[in-house]
Amino acid sequence: MEKEAVGLEITTELRLGLPGGELPDKNEKIKKRVFSEIQAHDDDENSSSEQDRKIQTKNQVVGWPPVCSYRKKNTVNETKMYVKVSMDGAPFLRKIDLAMHKGYSELVLALEKFFGCYGIREALKDAENAEHVPIYEDKDGDWMLVGDVPWEMFIESCKRLRIMKRSDAKGFDLQPKGSLKGFIEGVTK
Amino acid sequence: MRPRVAYSFPEEVLEHVFSFIECDKDRGSISLVCKSWYEIERWCRRRVFVGNCYAVSPATVVNRFPKVRSIAIKGKPHFADFNLVPEGWGAYVGPWIKAMAAAYPWLQEIRLKRMVIADECLELIAKSFKNFQVLVLTSCEGFTTDGLAAIAANCRNLRELELRESEVDDICGHWLSHFPDSYTSLVSLNISCLGNEVNLSALERLVSRCPNLQTLRLNRAVPLDRLATLLRGAPQLVELGTGAYTTEMRPEVFTNLAEAFSGCKQLKGLSGFWDVLPSYLPAVYPICSNLTSLNLSYATIQSPDLIKLVGQCESLQRLWVLDYIEDAGLEVIAASCKDLRELRVFPSDPFGLEPNVALTEQGLVSVSEGCTKLQSVLYFCRQMSNAALDTIARSRPNMTRFRLCIIEPRAPDYLTHQPLDAGFGAIVEHCKDLQRLSLSGLLTDRVFEYIGTYGKKLEMLSVAFAGDSDLGLHHVLSGCDNLRKLEIRDCPFGDKALLANAAKLETMRSLWMSSCLVSYGACKLLGQKMPRLNVEVIDERGPPDSRPESSPVEKLYIYRTVSGPRLDMPGYVWRMQDDSALRIS
Repeated sequence: MEKEAVGLEITTELRLGLPGGELPDKNEKIKKRVFSEIQAHDDDENSSSEQDRKIQTKNQVVGWPPVCSYRKKNTVNETKMYVKVSMDGAPFLRKIDLAMHKGYSELVLALEKFFGCYGIREALKDAENAEHVPIYEDKDGDWMLVGDVPWEMFIESCKRLRIMKRSDAKGFDLQPKGSLKGFIEGVTK
Repeated sequence: MRPRVAYSFPEEVLEHVFSFIECDKDRGSISLVCKSWYEIERWCRRRVFVGNCYAVSPATVVNRFPKVRSIAIKGKPHFADFNLVPEGWGAYVGPWIKAMAAAYPWLQEIRLKRMVIADECLELIAKSFKNFQVLVLTSCEGFTTDGLAAIAANCRNLRELELRESEVDDICGHWLSHFPDSYTSLVSLNISCLGNEVNLSALERLVSRCPNLQTLRLNRAVPLDRLATLLRGAPQLVELGTGAYTTEMRPEVFTNLAEAFSGCKQLKGLSGFWDVLPSYLPAVYPICSNLTSLNLSYATIQSPDLIKLVGQCESLQRLWVLDYIEDAGLEVIAASCKDLRELRVFPSDPFGLEPNVALTEQGLVSVSEGCTKLQSVLYFCRQMSNAALDTIARSRPNMTRFRLCIIEPRAPDYLTHQPLDAGFGAIVEHCKDLQRLSLSGLLTDRVFEYIGTYGKKLEMLSVAFAGDSDLGLHHVLSGCDNLRKLEIRDCPFGDKALLANAAKLETMRSLWMSSCLVSYGACKLLGQKMPRLNVEVIDERGPPDSRPESSPVEKLYIYRTVSGPRLDMPGYVWRMQDDSALRIS
């Protein structure tokens, strides 16, 4: 129970932290996880020496999971603009490469491919009454409606995407511009 | 009469008979029959495999086998792939090349894995062997394109040049120009691990003038709009690795590419596909139904496009892919790829804390149930259950290699929160021919009891973050009769099991233990007790003598050897047979 609680707590904390996608962030998260591992270790054994702690810390970071160095270099170094996409009700996050899309219309198609079975299609047909609203977190940490700014500005500032239910949107701290007009115009282009 | 007839076989006859025996083990057995068979066998041995470059000295190999034509050598421990072996540990191929250059002027083939090879060695190879044909470097380092230029310029009969996942100091893309214009014997070229651009004109000329070229694996820097030209120059290709699979969307590029692929009637294997632009994928659809091998493990193709592509490859026997394939894609494969023998699924985001794809144990269950010829699995995922492992084991008792990596260390069965002992136990119990096993997830000593009981053909075992006590290791060492390689990290295994099974270590090729509970004192005792083992303590913090004998060593690598201590140990490696005091002074 203790271990489980600790895990849940850290998971919750991480959700409010910086999003993934950049290597430095991953490093930071890796360190956090190592800390939780040490905590779990301590709880299990009721005590551990400083030496064991150091060894545990050092080796928990190195070489796990067992992805060979060559593969790590060839995937981490990609010049991609991946951002994470989550959708309310969907069990998995997605990662989408904004650089591979030329504009909002392509982005919408991609999101539809990923989450089509969860009703994103409705967001295109009837914006004002759509059940799902695509929003994104910009580099300042504010949540904005997708489509409000030019595409180039969007891809530079977008850190994370979320497709949320409209019923939740009302209580969300969206910017005053909150309308889908820009989004629709972007799609139409 | 029978004994006389047997003894009177001329040497030439026996030599001819022996030439049909290709299995290394069988050759080894033949040489043990009697002195004359030993002599005949050693003179007609053409191929030698050295599983650990420090197990035997070059001089010993050269003296015993005077007429070798082909040699394969392995160097660093497997865990070097994951940065657990420090830089400069060893595995230098120089002494081997020097010895062979002097003794084997007719050597034709060299295959190296996890070794350090300098340009000087490549130059020596290029100059020393009159009929050199095959150079395969897998996970090697230490050389540059200058060394490759020497090979290209001097090896007139070269058939295969394969650079697989190696670290190359890619100085100049013009090394391909060093192949003489008269050179036409190339059958296989793999430059996939080179980082820089190559001279495309030289590459195109080379490819088009070699009529027997079957395998071509390009590096990432070869642009997509030049691929069609290369393919038109070599329509006989059987295996192709593309470079980057993206460029500005231009209709003529797609058309050229589609036509070029259509012209490659023999293509059976595809790989590469770095940086995929999905719009170009339909260009390969026409050849998909013939493919038996597909390596998309560096291809960041998102799930829907990936599923559409793989779904057209119903003849696949080997598939390597990123986890973008997801459970849905694996279900498609299970339904359509009935010849699949090997599946590898790699993580696209191995260090992320949350799942970024919909890949679970269910995908592997689907493939296990649907692909009746499946023998080899490497699978990274984030959740697993005993029930799934049991289903996999019962569905695929013909499995010989099962490597499962649950990304979170010590992750339990996600349904029951129990250890995964029963699941892996089912794997070793039902898969009676299992040779290779990699464990992950939450595991107690009980899983090792299963492995010791049922893993009678197990040759290689990899263990991480598992077990409770020395009993776990004891089960493995005392029960797995055929174990050759054992690698262990972050497990609470200590002295008792190791010392109690010391004799077992002499029957194995190697044992790696890091972040365990083996004490320095036990290592010394083991080194003294077993003179034919090299017991190496790797400790970058300083001499182990400076700490109590009871303190655990950081990294331990034990291997059997007939050549004694190696001469190239770095300062942070201590061989336990050596007198440490002498080294300190």
